[in-house]
Amino acid sequence: MASATSNPYTDDVSLLIVLMDTNPYFWGAMNGAAAFSQFLNQVLPFLNSILLLNQLNQLVVIATGVNSCDYLYDSSRVGHESEKRSTKGIPGHSLEILQKLEDFIAKDQQLSNSDEAPGKICSLLSGSLSLALCYIQRILRTGPVHPQPRILCLQASPDGSEQYVAIMNAIFSAQRSMVPIDSCVVGSEDSAFLQQASYITGGVYQKPQHLDGLFQCLSMVFATDLHSRRFLKLPTPTGVDFRASCFCHKEPIGMGYVCSVCLSIFCKYHTKCSTCGPTKQVPPRGYSFSFTYGMAKWSRLCLRPFKFFLRCLVCGFPRRGMDLRIFVPPHTISLRVTSNLCSAKI
Amino acid sequence: MDFRPSRMAVVANSVEAFIREFFDQNPLSHIGLATIKDGLAHRLTELSGSPESHIRALRSNLGSSGDASLQNALDLVHSYLEQIPSYGHREVIILYSALSTCDPDDVMESIKKCKKAKIRCSVVGLSAEIYICKHLCEETGGSYTVALDESHFKELLLEHAPAPPAIAEFAVSNLVKMGFPQRRGEGVVTICSCHKEPKTGGGYTCPRCKACACELPTECQICGLTLISSPHLARSYHHLFPITPFEGGLATLPYNSLQRLPKTCFGCQQVLPNLGNKSGVRVSCPRCKQHFCVDCDIYIHESLHNCPGCESLRDFKREGDATSDSNVFSNKRPVLFVGQQRN
Repeated sequence: MASATSNPYTDDVSLLIVLMDTNPYFWGAMNGAAAFSQFLNQVLPFLNSILLLNQLNQLVVIATGVNSCDYLYDSSRVGHESEKRSTKGIPGHSLEILQKLEDFIAKDQQLSNSDEAPGKICSLLSGSLSLALCYIQRILRTGPVHPQPRILCLQASPDGSEQYVAIMNAIFSAQRSMVPIDSCVVGSEDSAFLQQASYITGGVYQKPQHLDGLFQCLSMVFATDLHSRRFLKLPTPTGVDFRASCFCHKEPIGMGYVCSVCLSIFCKYHTKCSTCGPTKQVPPRGYSFSFTYGMAKWSRLCLRPFKFFLRCLVCGFPRRGMDLRIFVPPHTISLRVTSNLCSAKI
Repeated sequence: MDFRPSRMAVVANSVEAFIREFFDQNPLSHIGLATIKDGLAHRLTELSGSPESHIRALRSNLGSSGDASLQNALDLVHSYLEQIPSYGHREVIILYSALSTCDPDDVMESIKKCKKAKIRCSVVGLSAEIYICKHLCEETGGSYTVALDESHFKELLLEHAPAPPAIAEFAVSNLVKMGFPQRRGEGVVTICSCHKEPKTGGGYTCPRCKACACELPTECQICGLTLISSPHLARSYHHLFPITPFEGGLATLPYNSLQRLPKTCFGCQQVLPNLGNKSGVRVSCPRCKQHFCVDCDIYIHESLHNCPGCESLRDFKREGDATSDSNVFSNKRPVLFVGQQRN
């Protein structure tokens, strides 16, 4: 008969997979080697603190390089010779991480093509996300008794637009396995991909303002396990931009035309879709327009008989003409009336 | 051997699981529910994209009585689906437990009408195979399966969740106007147009008429614009860019090279046993030549749709503007960039 203590994994045991960005183009462009060593000075104590929070916590570190991705450290691997050799107060596993990191960066640099101009080089986030998810699946396969997995991305380089499809595939797979993806962006610009990743999977997105305060940010926000997050107030996103970019100009658009076959997005109506080739197109039917009652002169003339009160479709209150927004759907002569209060003010 | 506790309970549970799985795989699609009772067919819910309203209606209407009429069901479905524009794929799944059909007229006429309207009818039977269902599915190009027990029934039903392949000649491409709303930040108070009650923060703003919607994908209540977000489109991109199947087996390799094979799976770092001619224990990707265990292979091809080896190697990436107009059917992926955060 199973006793109450047969499951050693309580609610707060976590498996944390850290995806560390080692893009030399980004770190070199900052203060040189000083910036990366300062970054490691903050991250390594954080990794130690994760292992200290609970005896059964597991930690895996994966490096995201420019030309490759690889595992750096796995705390559950049997045979920890690293624990025996601690030098000068530095724990053995930190030494192991540093050693493997050095080997990885050297190998990564060897793989780079010298012909490539180092413009906006981004690291292979999709590769390390896929590796992390495969590892998590292995843990989930061991049965119902396992630590709670989550992923933390320490991202420095900008988003690579060619990785969009792969990153979205990884995000949806993580959502299905209920693995949150937290993001800590130490680069200069916000990462739209990681914002979406954290929003869709239920993780936390944070962009700390100073690299000096990185340890504080990591330990206050990202060290908490999934069970404790229910009782804590963690930073909420200020707004996630879900707009897509059109294929022709790469500009973000609010309204566009989507091809029904290949789902490509265009800002203007074309007679043929440029991605799936010339096929028979049906032009759009009907036009629509909207205006605020107070602004258009001729509208005032048309709606003169109704100049006192019209009822808003959303809240049901009758309002004066000045406070109304009127929309005429295509192919109809009906008016859809909403008050300005019920419509968003942009 | 019959379904426990009752056929209706089993069917209701399976349909609920199917609805959730369907919207997970096809976020831009709509479902409508209909029931066949007492020789008549009734509309339970209209075509819509919200799983909760369907499940609620399903749970409150679990009574069953009378004969089943296949013709009335097909006529109802025909009236439901004939208004769908041509770029939409029309499909119906009939869960049929009766052994006969009591029709007022000629059911073959209804079948011909459905075939003409390009409605693909599939049937999942719970009792025995019936000729008329088989004929219906053959005529319209659907699939007819009969369940042996409860788990088999659920499996057969969930097989219909992923989209069926479309034939290229019949896939007329239309450019459909859609809106990509932005999510409002916290702290903004508006009245949403779906529930007609005030909401603090969250929600989305229609780009055309600026009305507020609570969830996506939806159709704006005021102006009728379809509102979606880019993750919804991205959910289907793995069909456009499938990954190559992995090759298994070590039988073709000479003995010398067996010793230099990687000892661990590239994806999950699990130790791969390397014993002689034991094929099927490891597989490898033909593009990046990395080795994976069989479990990772299943996970990669069914859920992840990314090969970790190919994604972790820069050689397989193409960067820059050259790929911006690339053909969807080539090996290159299109350059898609999602906009910056609005400050």
